[in-house]
Amino acid sequence: MLNDLITKRKSEFHPGTHTELRAQISKNRAITLVSGNLTANTRNEVSGVSARVYKNGVYGFSSAASYDDDAVKSVLDAAKNNADFMDTHLKKQKPMFPPQESGSRFADTESLNKRELPPRTYIDFAKQLDGYISNTYPSLASRVIAIREDSMEKFLAVSDGYDTHFISPRSYVYVFLTAETKDGMPVELFAPIGGYGSFGENFTDPALLYPKVDELHAKLMQKREGVFAKAGLKTVVLGGDLSGMLAHEAVGHTVEADLVLGGSVAGHNLGKKVASDLISLVDFAHTAFDKPAPLPVYVDDEGVPATDALLIDKGNLVGYMNNRETAHHFGMKPNGNARAFLFSDEPLIRMRNTAVLPGSNKLDDLIASVDDGYYLISSNNGQADTTGEFMFGITMGYEIKGGKLGHAILDTTITGVAFEMLKTVDMVSDSMNWSSSGYCGKKQQMPVSVGGPELRCKVTIGGR
Amino acid sequence: MEELTSKAALCLDLVKEKNIEKAFVSVSSREVNEFNVDGGEFSLFRTLFDNALSLTMYNAGRKGFVSLNRIDAASIKAAVESCADVSESSPPDPAWDIAPKGENGDFVKGCPTPDIPALFDRSKVFMANIAEDYPAIIIEQMIIKHIKSKSAYQNTNGVIYNTVSGKNVVEVMFSAHEGEKSSSFYGSGVSIDSLDKPFIELGTFREDFENIQKQVHTTPLEGKFTGTVVLPPQTLGGVLYVLLSNFCGDMSILNGTSLWKDMIGKKVADEKITLSLSPLDGRVVCGERFTSEGFRSENYDIIKDGALNSFMLSLYVANKTGRTRARNSSFNLIMAPGEKPIAEIIKGIDKGIIVGRLSGGDPGANGEFAGVAKNSFYVENGEIKHAISETMISGNLLELVKNLRGISKEVSCDGDSVLPYAVFDNVTISGK
Repeated sequence: MLNDLITKRKSEFHPGTHTELRAQISKNRAITLVSGNLTANTRNEVSGVSARVYKNGVYGFSSAASYDDDAVKSVLDAAKNNADFMDTHLKKQKPMFPPQESGSRFADTESLNKRELPPRTYIDFAKQLDGYISNTYPSLASRVIAIREDSMEKFLAVSDGYDTHFISPRSYVYVFLTAETKDGMPVELFAPIGGYGSFGENFTDPALLYPKVDELHAKLMQKREGVFAKAGLKTVVLGGDLSGMLAHEAVGHTVEADLVLGGSVAGHNLGKKVASDLISLVDFAHTAFDKPAPLPVYVDDEGVPATDALLIDKGNLVGYMNNRETAHHFGMKPNGNARAFLFSDEPLIRMRNTAVLPGSNKLDDLIASVDDGYYLISSNNGQADTTGEFMFGITMGYEIKGGKLGHAILDTTITGVAFEMLKTVDMVSDSMNWSSSGYCGKKQQMPVSVGGPELRCKVTIGGR
Repeated sequence: MEELTSKAALCLDLVKEKNIEKAFVSVSSREVNEFNVDGGEFSLFRTLFDNALSLTMYNAGRKGFVSLNRIDAASIKAAVESCADVSESSPPDPAWDIAPKGENGDFVKGCPTPDIPALFDRSKVFMANIAEDYPAIIIEQMIIKHIKSKSAYQNTNGVIYNTVSGKNVVEVMFSAHEGEKSSSFYGSGVSIDSLDKPFIELGTFREDFENIQKQVHTTPLEGKFTGTVVLPPQTLGGVLYVLLSNFCGDMSILNGTSLWKDMIGKKVADEKITLSLSPLDGRVVCGERFTSEGFRSENYDIIKDGALNSFMLSLYVANKTGRTRARNSSFNLIMAPGEKPIAEIIKGIDKGIIVGRLSGGDPGANGEFAGVAKNSFYVENGEIKHAISETMISGNLLELVKNLRGISKEVSCDGDSVLPYAVFDNVTISGK
């Protein structure tokens, strides 16, 4: 666990600047079994201290891969010198952003640090799960079990705002199954299982995962008999994982204030209708629907206490996600979205737990209402650009014919423009599906969660 | 350098004290000086100092791996203990192995000494050039950095490599705007070992800015047809990466799902296609000099005149499957150019699109792909007509490389790869 070497150094922060001093340890463990062969058994730890200094509209940053009094002094001085270099050459003369309410939030980290398990625990778990799959489903072409556990511990001291100390752990088991069609063509499907918490907390017995493996295998067998989707603009029921991905990729990124300044479509849509009245979208901080959010954030890396950011309210675009500098620029309130991945990374505007809010319809009614379309359930990746045009890879879905599910479909891709596609939403289910297995990539990686209900809408689907 | 070398030796001494015969270690230090531009303005100057220790051991065939960014003696000792602990949990597998003793090497790559004032000046001029020559372009983010690293690599068979390297990297993400209309964003970049040339003249920057300015006003394609796709170097590199990873990489060969698993020596692509992985090519900046297992890197052809020549296998998967390991572990991809200019090839296209960027899902093991053609243009009767939007392409990667229409004589070099334009027929193109 990190010791506090930084809060006592606040007196050394340079006057006339905003300064952040952060110590951090990031750990991860990876186990991979490929058809029974252990190909990865790794443990990784990265730690150090960094400082960022804001002065007259520019930032200086520096980091060092050690954490002692000398390293703290060296990064504070180097960050100040870098800010001075930029200030001297650019002379932007921007004012300091408004001061933040100060305080502290120190989590009880003692118990979290006792959760690391012996390496054999992970291997044994993976081997037992792999053994179940190979014995129960011997005709599979291949199987992969991947265990991933990561955590980040941060100690933050800021010139104004909240000082904080916390640990954020996450663990997942990924199961990848491959079968062959009658023609010998491989088809694949995977499922992530897990969430916030250490491996020991989330996974006590491999047998508890068997039902999810059985469900995955059953879907794979349907996909093995699957058909190609027909290309074109279709009415679809978008599953909860996909509506969450839509919230993050196609809408969320366009309303990150740094991307708004970079020219995103949200720049000229604030206050305007961008979606159907049924759509509201929130980036939750730490609590959602009276429960802990999947990956809670309480204080960000600029020392701002985290609060929810309402982005779309009943179809109207009402806000952006900000850091302190962009919040000042846009005259908004920062909600605690500035986060850094490694000790050597500067805070960027990042999403946290981004979700479309549920509605009042039942999933069965959504499906029954589609005469000729698709029910799209799972994705392996998604991308969007600052125009809001998005692309999601679809790995599992079904035809809908006459209001009933038909054949499974093979891998395909869907696309649309978020602020146009969201206006076509005419039914929203009352369920909520969260996924927190992913990383968002925006210069740095960052664990994020996404969520949403099922949506009935129109998208363009790729296919033959 | 000597300090890193002695730390690597210390680490392997501690490994040997535990009677573990096979191990390799890399001890390195890194300094990064980086300028950032956000929303069209310089925003940040950061200086990073980091270290890395990565240790892999095969403890009676049981694999362990640890990595951390501390390289003091106490941390090295803890890393050895931790790695041994991890390895104890692994099942034994005789396929894990390391390189035998060969010729040791001291390598100096690129430009190890940073010139920060010159880098900043070049960056400011680049910003001014973009503003003056391409006024519709807004820089979403630009990262300009110098990366300097020193590393000491050793294995228990006596392999010793010492490397000092440095390079400058320029990466820019941008879009074009007119009022409330905008293009899709686009990313372009280069790795360079010299600051002699203005950045605007490097890689494909000018061509990219020019094309994106033409994409503010787009027209969706109507209907669906089978046509020709022109893949510019950057798009081609992405497509080939997915193709080769899916069908020549460790994972698909180990689990037996590669549809090319029995195709060595056989035709898998048009005979005009020759692809090599060549980290030692003079146009590659700071290319790999040795593999992680300790073998000296050599260039090799992965596809030669359309025939599959090699897989991209690690020593482990090669041993596991009775195949041959790849002669380097880089992805410095070089495609042999053609004889005609791209403009001439385009003149022969009846109906198709130039795919500036392909935003697609990860193709499955069967090679089926579908994606959105971003930053793209419609081509009809040999003429580039207009920029397009909301257009998808789909097909099968294995078929795509057999349906080659032509390869351009022009190539683009970004410091990592050297690629031409490639043009393929029989791709499904669907609009609204």
